[in-house]
Amino acid sequence: MKMQRSNEWLKTSQNEPRGYIQPQSLEELWFHAGTNCNLRCPFCLEGSKPGDNRLEFLTLDDAQRFVNEALEFGVKKFSFTGGEPFVNPEFIPILEAALEHRPCLVLTNATEPLMNQMGDILPLQNKPNLLSFRVSLDHPDPVKHDESRGRGNFRKALDTLGRLPREGFGVSIARLMLPGEDSAAVDKAYAPYFEKAGVPADLTIIKFPEFHLPGSLPQVAEITEDCMTRYLSAEKRAAFMCNFSKMVVRKNGQCGVYACTLVDDVENYDLGKTLREAMEQRVLLGHHRCYSCFAGGASCSEGV
Amino acid sequence: MNTLTVRNVIFRTDELFELQFERGDVQFEPGACVALFSDSIESRPYSIAAGTGEDILRFLIRRVPNGIVSSWLAQRKPGDKVQASAPFGWFRPGRAVPGSRSVFIATGTGIAPFLSYLRSNPLQVPELCLYGVRRQEEAFNLNELQNMGNFQLALSQEAVNNHFYGRVTGLLEQVPFAADIHYYLCGLDTMIDEISSWLENHGVEYTKIHREIFFYEDATL
Repeated sequence: MKMQRSNEWLKTSQNEPRGYIQPQSLEELWFHAGTNCNLRCPFCLEGSKPGDNRLEFLTLDDAQRFVNEALEFGVKKFSFTGGEPFVNPEFIPILEAALEHRPCLVLTNATEPLMNQMGDILPLQNKPNLLSFRVSLDHPDPVKHDESRGRGNFRKALDTLGRLPREGFGVSIARLMLPGEDSAAVDKAYAPYFEKAGVPADLTIIKFPEFHLPGSLPQVAEITEDCMTRYLSAEKRAAFMCNFSKMVVRKNGQCGVYACTLVDDVENYDLGKTLREAMEQRVLLGHHRCYSCFAGGASCSEGV
Repeated sequence: MNTLTVRNVIFRTDELFELQFERGDVQFEPGACVALFSDSIESRPYSIAAGTGEDILRFLIRRVPNGIVSSWLAQRKPGDKVQASAPFGWFRPGRAVPGSRSVFIATGTGIAPFLSYLRSNPLQVPELCLYGVRRQEEAFNLNELQNMGNFQLALSQEAVNNHFYGRVTGLLEQVPFAADIHYYLCGLDTMIDEISSWLENHGVEYTKIHREIFFYEDATL
């Protein structure tokens, strides 16, 4: 069933047809574990903090239902974000269920919620699919990292980053991208810390530009249909996450399928209550975060 | 979101107080936190200190200088309403492995989750409970803790008979080691880091060290 959208949504402010992605496949399914988090980072693109329930805890029943439906679409990977996923009381059973079928990726701050449950996490290495963790290390400078995330959290995250691969799990890191930065130099500045943690110097680093807080409306250029073909190749259009992935979110007591991990603050991106419904929906690129994907090729995905 | 009704506010010192709410239908496990909101919509998480069988919710709170939430909470009166999240958490004293033994180590208001556990499970006492505060007047529920047995109080800024004079880390030689013991640490980050390292250096597996950090600038406990 096609969703009805207002003309304002279908057209830009200049009345031009808004750019869009027509999803081609479901290679990666993301789950939002909930916006409850043990930390309170001022830049959090989800607005997560302790006790927050803008997005509610995903339940095991929710996850199982969408895992089963995603398998019908040939999904290759399940990924989980938050909040801090390990704050969700059902998160480890959710991972156990998902790892029976596909590799899983968890975005984590790698502090107390994960550390305290390590005894329950270790047996997950015996599952038929690989579990990987993407640890947030915002800056290669521990002081800058801790300014936002709290005293001592760089050291804890680094310590956990080192322990996880020794236990057989995959790891990568996520960091913030600063305007005008020399990205190669910033990446290289992590090397001494990677060495200290005992992880490879060429560890995958996912870089995120400024996405602004949920609900914010920064001024960005609007993306038209013409922009999508004039400035982007077919290959680049195919690389948009909304082309090959979706995100399941629990909000107001029920689950919805959103176009990607970054647009759950706008109801127009709730594409339906099932993956089948959502896969039929054209994704209109009207969110200010869509512009980050358009202009910079930003992606939360590490590939499948 | 829940709306809680204040039953009482009991000050222990000028900066430390126990805030009590009517329980209502709130369900929780020992170790759970609740985010309490001030009228400015700011919130902070606080661990529940009540037992699961009590009809009140108790929180042990330090009024932080210029702290938006703790200062507002300190001014509440019986009958006032406070917005609160549902209970949540990742710290579960005594619950890591059913039947395993426990050691509890706390500083300051970090005793709250252990009080919740002990009040909920009065027959399942830990092998040892160490509690560090600056002065005796800052120790919450001292008689209750002493009656449990296996309890030691460390006072870092006051010499009092029958209590250890010094930081709680000065009592670590009493900590027992065994394969089935899990170690639960709650309070100052500096204390937790120091004791975590000490435990690992004494051969304790890191999966048996459970931490809950309350951030304070004062690292003298």
